[in-house]
Order: sequence, then structure tokens, then C-alpha cells
Amino acid sequence: MQGPRFQLALKALLLLGLALFLYTRLAGGTLFFYINERFAAYTMLAIVGLILVGVSYRPLGRKQTTLDGSPVAIDDIVDHNHDQGHGHDHALTLSGALLILLPMVLGVLVPPQPLGAAALANREVNVTMQGSALPAAVRAAADKNAVDKNVLDWLNTFAGTPDPVRTFAGQPATVVGFVFRDARFAENQFMVTRFVVSCCVADANVAGMVVRWPAAATLPADQWVTVSGVLEAGALGDQPVPVLAAQRVEPVDVPQHPYLYP
Amino acid sequence: MTVEQPQPVAKTQVDVPLVDGAAAQRGQLLRWSLTAGLMLLAAGAIFYDTFASGAGLPYLLQRFQTFVTIFLGIFIEAVPFLLAGSVVSGLIAVFVDEAMLDRYLPKQPLLGAMAGGGMGLLFPVCECGVVPVVRRLYEKGLPVSIGAAFLLAAPVINPIVILSTYSAFGWGPVLWGRLFFSFVIAVTVGFLFSRAQPEEVLLPAVNACHHDACCTVHDRAPGAPKALLPARFTQAFNFAGDDFLDMVRYLIVGCMIAASMQTLLPQSALLAVGQGPVISVLVMLGLAFLLSICSTVDAFLALAFTSTFTTGSIVSFLVFGPMVDIKSTIMFLGVFKRRAVGYLILLPLLLSLLVGIWWNLNLGM
Repeated sequence: MQGPRFQLALKALLLLGLALFLYTRLAGGTLFFYINERFAAYTMLAIVGLILVGVSYRPLGRKQTTLDGSPVAIDDIVDHNHDQGHGHDHALTLSGALLILLPMVLGVLVPPQPLGAAALANREVNVTMQGSALPAAVRAAADKNAVDKNVLDWLNTFAGTPDPVRTFAGQPATVVGFVFRDARFAENQFMVTRFVVSCCVADANVAGMVVRWPAAATLPADQWVTVSGVLEAGALGDQPVPVLAAQRVEPVDVPQHPYLYP
Repeated sequence: MTVEQPQPVAKTQVDVPLVDGAAAQRGQLLRWSLTAGLMLLAAGAIFYDTFASGAGLPYLLQRFQTFVTIFLGIFIEAVPFLLAGSVVSGLIAVFVDEAMLDRYLPKQPLLGAMAGGGMGLLFPVCECGVVPVVRRLYEKGLPVSIGAAFLLAAPVINPIVILSTYSAFGWGPVLWGRLFFSFVIAVTVGFLFSRAQPEEVLLPAVNACHHDACCTVHDRAPGAPKALLPARFTQAFNFAGDDFLDMVRYLIVGCMIAASMQTLLPQSALLAVGQGPVISVLVMLGLAFLLSICSTVDAFLALAFTSTFTTGSIVSFLVFGPMVDIKSTIMFLGVFKRRAVGYLILLPLLLSLLVGIWWNLNLGM
């Protein structure tokens, strides 16, 4: 990894490559498999910034000027502080460059997919949200029409009511989510599930509603569905929870925004 | 495709460029044994998982997919902020000289640490962006204590995080407790660092610049003509690029470890451990370290725990998480010596633990 020209080109290429990688995620719509929509603007800024910074290394062979306006050799740009005799090394090693390539390589080789049922295996699954929701979100959810409410809105609505299990029995609901079930679910039950992402998938919370549907067992885990039905007072195992008694369950494609934003 | 999911973590750990000349050799054995231990642990966890679920290969592949998604999630989320920090660092390199730092910052250690603790209000950076900025300021001769206080406090004591904590918790004790104790802990740690010599704390490369400030491009003779502004910006951007490529390696390793933890550790088991005034605080501190989530949104996540966890543990989560987590620990290694990184983790950990327990016992759970 020697040679100042090579170093400059390598750094510029890595920065521009990262910009391109982020751009493909943005353009392909898969950016929202990773982060909250709110942060897409920062990703755009990062793409612009990475290009600017990458281009600042200049095409090879063109002259750079020092601060007093005279041209400098490329060696001086790369080794701008090595003459002073300390070990501050800005040169990239082979392993360093490979490490920086790693996210791009993984991103290209592994087809992008949103978090699914597999990620639920070691997470806290929330079917009631006991009184811990954002007050503003609870109010906003309460104001929505029943048909417009998503899974998170419903949980927030439940959280704003003292006795959600009985209060909402009989209300119609239509929600979208993926299928999940674990040992607590009865044969005719599954959970219509969404991840709630505030920032990136690392902070993903799980929100889900229990669905009663006679053919529940035929639905594979991770299958995205639209469920329409009526809420009833039901139970998950021994725990009384509002249950969505499904009248229709339709398989659908993974939505453009697989996660909900609080 | 790769099935042994933890392998990249282990490998990249070895690649972490710890630029310690003599210590590198001594650390080699430690690093290898750590790597081997981590790999064994991860392999064990995966093995156990596969058998417990009885699902075999497809299950492993799904786990790997989850790992990649979380890894790229943290990485993509952090890149804009790291880049912003690097650009600020580059601008500081070109446009700020040591004399300015000398003139405006207090000499007295405690006052200095307090100034460092409040600097986040002026530079709203989060825990990814703050690292390159602090490193650059150290190279400009910033006292160690001010930098340490800034590093720990800035991710919380800044307008954006105050706003997000407010929207999650309102003007309640949690918000004030978070701000107050973050500030106090950061200043305390900063003050303690003022007792240390820079060469004990900083990596040799950072420290060398710290002394002769040679990384500046300002070494022109007084009276020499100033460079054209575009040239100086190009120079600043070059510095920013170098900084970014330097720090992003630490970020990537940090993201990989954090993502493996998230994929392998059963969060529900951790949460099931814990009630009681002491245990709950320990659990939330562990969670704060392992999750490595951005300080701008951790308040929303903490909100989900308020019904099941003690208030003291929530406050300690909100205080400790932004200061130290897996991702930032790895990034600290690009600035500080390992022993200093140890102190930067342990001191906030102990102090946050005390705060959480004190809160539970005196202000109610």
C-alpha cells in the first residue's frame, strides 16, 4: 500500500464508493430497511459530503497549492506531517482498506431484507404497552379513525385507556404486519407484528396485536398480511389482551416502509 | 454464503489499528486470546440456539441476515454524524490555532472540566461525531481534562438530545436528572483526568501533536501571505477525509460487535433478571452498553421500559448509554491509550450505578 498517488486514489475511491453504496440504498428504497425515514435527509447530506471530501483529494496529477499559494508535490500532501518525526500515520494499510470495504461488500452480497420474525427471538415482545407510551403519540392515536390505525396506533390507544381489553371490543380494525408466533400462542392465533424504529434497527421495538383466525396455522412466519376484523376481549395464554378476530387475512408484499416510526 | 456469523467480528478485531509501538507486542497475546474467547462464546451461543430451536441451517441463515441488517443499520445511521464530526475536525485543523484555545479556555482544572462539560451546547455532536472532534482538539493542545469532559458530556448536554428527552419524558425529574448527572459525572471524570499527564492518557500519535502541534498547517512564518480560501477548504476537507477513514474503521468494528451482541444475546432474558433497586440499575446499564443506540433517540427506547423498570435505572441508562457503549468504546481506542479507555468506561459506569441506586433509594422507584 505504498506510493502517495496510490494512497490518494485509494482514499478518494473508498469515500466515493461509500457515497455510491449509500446512494444505491436510497435509490433502491431499501434505506428504510435500516433507518427511520426521518434520518434519510442526513443520509443524503452524507452522500453529498462524502463526494465533496472524496473529490477534495483531487484527480491525480493535478497540482495542489499550499497555503501560501505555491504548488506542492503530491508526496507532501500525503505525508503532510511526517517530516516532524512522529508516528502519526494517515496512510491506509491493506487490512484498513478491506475493513472499510466490509459494509459495502456485506451490503452487496447479502440481499437487503427488513428485520423479521427471526430477530424477535431475543427481543421483548410487547402486546400491551402498559402505560409507557409517549403522551403525544397516545393523543395522536386516539384522534385517528379506527380504519386508519396501524398496529402502533392501536397499542397507543390501548395504553391511553384504563381497561383496553373490554373498552374496544366490537370496534373494527384493519392492520398490516408480518406473522409471528411463539409458544404462548394458541393454534388459531398469531401476532400481526411490526418493528418500531426510532433511529435505526438497533433500537427496534416490537409492536404486535394478537389475531384470532381459524386458519392461522397455515400462515408461515414472516409472511406479510393485511388483517381486517373486529376487536374482542381475548387472551394470550393467561394474559387478557385485546384480540383482533379476523374476518379476512390477505397476504401482501413487504411494504415500502416495513417499520413504524413513533 | 458464510454461515459462521461471528467470524468477521473476530477477524476484524485483530485488524483494529492500535498504533502502540511496544505495547502492541505485549497486547498481541491478549488480543488473540480475547478474539479466541469471543469466537468460542459466539460459536457456543449459535450452536445452542440452533439446537434449542431445532431449525438448523435456515435458522442460522436468518440469524446471519438479522446480523447484517442490524450492522448496516447502525453503520448507515452513524456515517452522517461521523462525517459531520470529521468535517468539523478538519475545519478546526485549518482554521483554529492553539493560541485561540489557550485564550478562551480556563486554566484551572475544575473550571476547565466544567467548560468542557458545557461545550456540547456550542458543538451539537453526538457520540459518533464527538470522537474525531476531540481527537483534533487534543492535537491542538486541548487539556486532557477538558477533552474528556467534552467527550462524555457532549452526547447529552446538547440541544438536540435535550429536545428528544423532553418529548419523551416532559419537564420531569428524568430530564433534569439526566442533564444534571451527565454533567456532574463528565466533569468529575474530566477533573480526575487533569491529574494525569497527557502522555499517560493519549495515544503516542495524538500526544506528539498535542505537544508540538505539528499537525496544524499553520506553521507559516508570521506575516507570510495567507492562502487562498478555497485552498484552505480543500486542505480542511483532506483532513476531514483522513479523519473519517481513520475513525470509520473503529466504527465498523464497534458496529459489528454491537450487532453480534444484539443478534446473539437474549434481551428478554436480561430484562427478566431484573427488579429491585440495585439489580434493575445493573441490568439497564448493561443494556445501555450492549445496545449502542444513538443518544438522540435513546429516550424513546427508555420510555418503553418505564413501566417495568425503576426510575433510577432509567436515569442511569440515559446517563451512561450516551457516554459509553460498545461502538464508542472501540472509537475511544483511536484516541486514548487502553488504560485510559478503561477509566473512561469504569468511572462513568460506577458513578452512573451510584446515581441509579441513590435515586431508587431516596427519590423512589
